[in-house]
Amino acid sequence: MKRSALDLGVGIFVLVGLLALAWLSANLGRVDLLGQRGYVVSADFPSVGGLKAGSAIEIAGVEIGRVDRILLQDYQARVVMVIQPEIKLQEDSIASIKTKGLIGERYVRISPGGSEKAIPPNGRIREVEPPVDIEELLSKYIFGKV
Amino acid sequence: MNWLRMGAVVLVGALAIAVGPAPAAAGVPTDQLKGAVERVLKTLDDPALKGEAKVGDRRTAVRKIANEIFDFGEIAKRSMARHWQPLSEAQKAEFVGLFAELLERSYISKIETYGGEKIQYTAERADGEYATVSTKIITKNGTEVPVDYRMNKRGDRWLVYDVSIEGVSLVSNYRTQFNKIIQTTSYSELVSKLRNKQDELLAEDKGGKKKP
Repeated sequence: MKRSALDLGVGIFVLVGLLALAWLSANLGRVDLLGQRGYVVSADFPSVGGLKAGSAIEIAGVEIGRVDRILLQDYQARVVMVIQPEIKLQEDSIASIKTKGLIGERYVRISPGGSEKAIPPNGRIREVEPPVDIEELLSKYIFGKV
Repeated sequence: MNWLRMGAVVLVGALAIAVGPAPAAAGVPTDQLKGAVERVLKTLDDPALKGEAKVGDRRTAVRKIANEIFDFGEIAKRSMARHWQPLSEAQKAEFVGLFAELLERSYISKIETYGGEKIQYTAERADGEYATVSTKIITKNGTEVPVDYRMNKRGDRWLVYDVSIEGVSLVSNYRTQFNKIIQTTSYSELVSKLRNKQDELLAEDKGGKKKP
């Protein structure tokens, strides 16, 4: 009798441990088991540099969403983003791909606009700035001078 | 590399010249932009407007063309972003005037330093009322600088509301600066900053040339 109570305790303990591990990996891996909360907007960039699905979308440094996926559309990069439902994006908002620090990860910075119209769900951010490719710029001004 | 100088050279080229092959698929926005650029070039070439003494007349002529193709009201509105709505009509008009003058003074004087850069109209992307005209400016040492014009249809005319050089947008640049100034100080501080800048540029003009 005593033996089986101990077994049960260990079993529950292991089960709780496994659940905690599952929760931890889902959270760290930014996997949304129940689908993402928010609405979808997209933006077309000439290039996205090192932006990846899961990259952060920020306004004033505060995360307001994440990149859901990136696909090639008409030889441009279409970035599909999920934005938190309470955040309204004005029609003239500008989406820029920025780098955290000098060599940090890429993220999307949105600078809010002044238009009265908001971008509807499944709408598009028309104003975009691709990442500045420092290497390309450098080589242009190093090798450009003939 | 000096960014201001770079920007100046680019804008000079952008406004002053129209050489190079045009793509077959060029649409109305490209044609209208090209037309304005060609007129600026002609103005700068006009013997009646050449020389130091004619600086004033020449700039007035260039400014007139710039006003026809650039929508300074929209540029100001977009640069102010969410600080735009709270302004009164009088404040909005005052701001558009000040900002347009700042842009004109910063860039038009540079146009006159134009010397042989080539411009190519590489692509046009239209999306209803909006269009992007991509151009490339080729400097004399062969460096290619991509310049994109964002245009919006107003009636039957297409007006420029943003310019990006190497992917860096003019509106985005001013939006960040204005937002910082207004949030740390106030709108009136921004206006007085713009006024000071204008006085500075005016003094520079007077110092360097006989007439502003």
